[in-house]
Amino acid sequence: MANQIKSSSTAEYFAKNLQQVGFSSPLKAVLTTLKEAVDNSLDACEEHDILPELIIEINKKGKGSSRSSDLVEIIVEDNGPGLEVDMVGKVFGEYLASSKFGRGQCSRGQQGIGISAATTWAQLTNASGVVVTTKTKKMRKAVRAKVDVDIKSNRGVIKQKETFDWHKDHGVRCEFIIDGRIQLNGDGGILTYLEGTTLVNPHLTLKYKLLENDWVEIPRVSDEVPKVPKPTLPHPHTMKLGEFMTHAHIYGKISLDKFLKKGFSRVTDNSIKDFVKRGMPQAYLKKNLNKMSEKEFKNVFSAIQDSELPNPSTKSVLTVGEEALSKSVLRIGVVDFFSVVTRKPKICDYKPIVVEVAIARFLDRGRDAEDKQIQLLRFANRVPLQFDKAGCAITKAVESINWRSYGLAQSKNSLPIGPYIIAVAVTSPFIKFKNASKETIDASDELVEELRRALMQAGQKLGRHIKREEKAADLERKLAHIEKFGPILVEGLAKIIGAGEQRKKRAEEGLKKLLGRDTSAAEDDLAAAEQRLKKQREMQRQRLGFDARQLIEESSVNEEVSVNAGDEPEEAPTSKKATSKKATSKKTTAKKSTKKATKKVAKKATKKKTVAKKATKKSAAKAKKKSNKKVTKKKATKKAARAKK
Amino acid sequence: MALMKVRKLKKDIPKEAKALCEQMLKDLERAKRPTLEAIKCSLDNSFYNPKVGYLTPGDKRVRTELNVSSVQKLSRTIFMLDILLENIYNGSVNTKRELYYMAKGLVKSTRGINLKPLDFDDQPESDAIIDFICDMLMVYREEVNCFANDRGGQTYSQCLSVTETLPDGSKTTVDLKNLGTAPFQPKNRPQALKLKATKKIEFCLVVESEGTANTLVSNGFTRRNNCIVMGAQGVPSNAVRAWCKTIQDQLKVPIFFFGDLDAYTLQNIYRTLKAGSAASLVRNSDFSAPEVRFLGVLPEDVKKYDLHCYTVSEKNASDARSLKKARDVLQNDPFFKDKKNKDVAKILNWLIKHKVRCEQQAFFSVNPKDPLMTEKIILDKIRSGSYV
Repeated sequence: MANQIKSSSTAEYFAKNLQQVGFSSPLKAVLTTLKEAVDNSLDACEEHDILPELIIEINKKGKGSSRSSDLVEIIVEDNGPGLEVDMVGKVFGEYLASSKFGRGQCSRGQQGIGISAATTWAQLTNASGVVVTTKTKKMRKAVRAKVDVDIKSNRGVIKQKETFDWHKDHGVRCEFIIDGRIQLNGDGGILTYLEGTTLVNPHLTLKYKLLENDWVEIPRVSDEVPKVPKPTLPHPHTMKLGEFMTHAHIYGKISLDKFLKKGFSRVTDNSIKDFVKRGMPQAYLKKNLNKMSEKEFKNVFSAIQDSELPNPSTKSVLTVGEEALSKSVLRIGVVDFFSVVTRKPKICDYKPIVVEVAIARFLDRGRDAEDKQIQLLRFANRVPLQFDKAGCAITKAVESINWRSYGLAQSKNSLPIGPYIIAVAVTSPFIKFKNASKETIDASDELVEELRRALMQAGQKLGRHIKREEKAADLERKLAHIEKFGPILVEGLAKIIGAGEQRKKRAEEGLKKLLGRDTSAAEDDLAAAEQRLKKQREMQRQRLGFDARQLIEESSVNEEVSVNAGDEPEEAPTSKKATSKKATSKKTTAKKSTKKATKKVAKKATKKKTVAKKATKKSAAKAKKKSNKKVTKKKATKKAARAKK
Repeated sequence: MALMKVRKLKKDIPKEAKALCEQMLKDLERAKRPTLEAIKCSLDNSFYNPKVGYLTPGDKRVRTELNVSSVQKLSRTIFMLDILLENIYNGSVNTKRELYYMAKGLVKSTRGINLKPLDFDDQPESDAIIDFICDMLMVYREEVNCFANDRGGQTYSQCLSVTETLPDGSKTTVDLKNLGTAPFQPKNRPQALKLKATKKIEFCLVVESEGTANTLVSNGFTRRNNCIVMGAQGVPSNAVRAWCKTIQDQLKVPIFFFGDLDAYTLQNIYRTLKAGSAASLVRNSDFSAPEVRFLGVLPEDVKKYDLHCYTVSEKNASDARSLKKARDVLQNDPFFKDKKNKDVAKILNWLIKHKVRCEQQAFFSVNPKDPLMTEKIILDKIRSGSYV
């Protein structure tokens, strides 16, 4: 019997169960590979305080080995610190080899499974692992090598190693060729993933080329690398008995009271007194940890569990921040208005968590978007979640809210309707995922409630915008009514009784006066709605130093400037720039048209203000234009230098 | 060309309309908000007067004051009033559908002033305006020359002649005996018809189903009995209601209604025929026949003749709605709440309690071999006083 029992390696297990880590279909395989590579790059950059600059390329290389799949090439290149050659095999070819496992930090990757799984998938479907190029600052030349997973021994095997001169000082480039299928749009689409990644990583500059499309460049909007907070000590209430004992043995020979104070957060002298009250013998306190029996540990543990302790610290959670999120949301389309909310960190299920929400209305989503459900972008630790939407805590929270009260159309218990994006980011060192492929967040009541609160806060801000719009439309309708029906009514009455021109004229004047009173009431309503919105914007400005409208207007001015800069003759128009220029010019025209629409509604006073604002913006734009010219010149010289090399 | 009159109307409609417009224009000249008032035609403004036997309006009024929101409605009202006045002056008659198209045509053809904003998207919009004008002037639609294509009212008799005064003043008489199996069908203004009994008429039978009425007549019901048989064809139209009223007032014969035993028939068909409706409060006095009695099907008939019934289930959405409506009616409808109609209310209660319904045609199951069985039952019921 004993002869039949075999132990197998971790790699063997995952190689047979790749569906558990996101490789359940050709479609998911492409997205998961891309996601894992991007996550690693971003985590590495953040750890070394580098502003990330990613280059992504996805191409079709022919027919895949299995039915209904293509051979897809996925290239991700970063400007991170680079990997030492010894580490390349571990990172790309060994399961559960991670610098982040169990650290209690809000990093994207956690266990060290994802990228090795991608290599395995490449190996299984294309009989070739990943080609990695790496260079650290210390290395004179870059190293390119192929990494395969040795499935039997769970080790990365490096093959075909070569050195060469690379244009980068440091960074990693990984090239996968796998069986897969490419979907660009929709919930599981690559564009949706890139859009989401851009949104929650305002410090990221992203250049990508998908299939035959041109290069697209999305520049960063924040120059601050997020500081991932250091992990805090564990909270005793989040531990199980076994964990508690293992944790104790790490501390070695110290006494129990010292261990409790040093090894845990939120344990003070007073809490220890409380533990004693709850049944922990006083004598244990000075006892050496190594000399304590299992029974004694059990006693201590149950006393701790019975006593009340302050909630765990929330210092270990990371937020994108309202400012960065506001700037970032403008990068993903032509936004009409938006609202962002970053909640204060909270404890849900004894784990620190922070929820951030961004709601934006887009003008470039086409007419169909008006009748379709909103696009819900879900994030966990700044990683987009794209599959299994229905079971996710975020979806449940969004569906449970009555969006109609904020002015959005919605069928009962479903997502609201309209050209909106609702982005919800949950960040925590301990996110409870439903599965190893990290596609769905488990819906606990506390978490859903926290999500609902964030969504409602954002909804209220959005509601004020919509209310103002409704009031403006009401005023417009009333004004149109006066113009349309006034003369007809008077004409009709005069015709029936045979009244003369003079009476008609008098009646028309009287009618104008009457309806004018109604209009002024509508104007008052609009003014009140505007006042409320202004107050909201003022509060935002006080808190963040800017408001949403200001940001939208500024971004449109910036785009106008970038378009003009692109027209400069000295700028050598590379294919990349040509595309970004085109894209931006489209955006600008769309924005101009929205501006026109809003202008129609706005009062004369506001018009005056806008004129004044425009004047200041123009001067600011001129200044920016000059600086942009300088930047583009510098870029051109750099490129020429690279070409010479 | 003078049209036949529905009633002796003391009002001069064009004069009233002009006075109303004059007042509106004056108000406008003074920058004062003109208002239009009409009787509120709804159940909460309906009162059942047992002395007269029909639903009468209360004091509630619908007041439309000119403001930005109502300017469209008022403009359309004046526009439609102008069309109706033109019709009155010309003596021409139109249906609501025709008036809807006439309005459309005028909007298209009028030069100078832009009438396009007045254009009606669909007929219900123009119908509502016509109804509002009638309620405002307290007149019937027929009095503003707007006739309906009324259905129902097919009448069969061997002892009735009808004299009609035509618009040119000439008179024409129709003896229903001479029509063979074809029915006489009154149109538009039955109140203007003069009825004469050629023999003593014993009763008038109004049958809910026009098909059943035709069956009875074909089997010789009117040949064997000195009576009038009329098909109501569902919820009685204005013509049927006015025709019943005319028979009741001019011939002074008992009128019996023979229909299904279900809440819908009692609430919507029988109640409307007998006491009018909340929607037509202004016209109930001339469009209801309070003497009509409910002959059946009665709950006692179900037992006596062992009639087949359908169950009304709370689980079925439409049945549940009708039961809810029946309970509602018992609580809120002044007709059913009045002591005078307690027997009808009792039937409704019986229906709610037993959750069944029985169709008038169920009498044909009593003795399928005898084609005259239904006739016999009806006559037996009339003779024995088995009605409410």
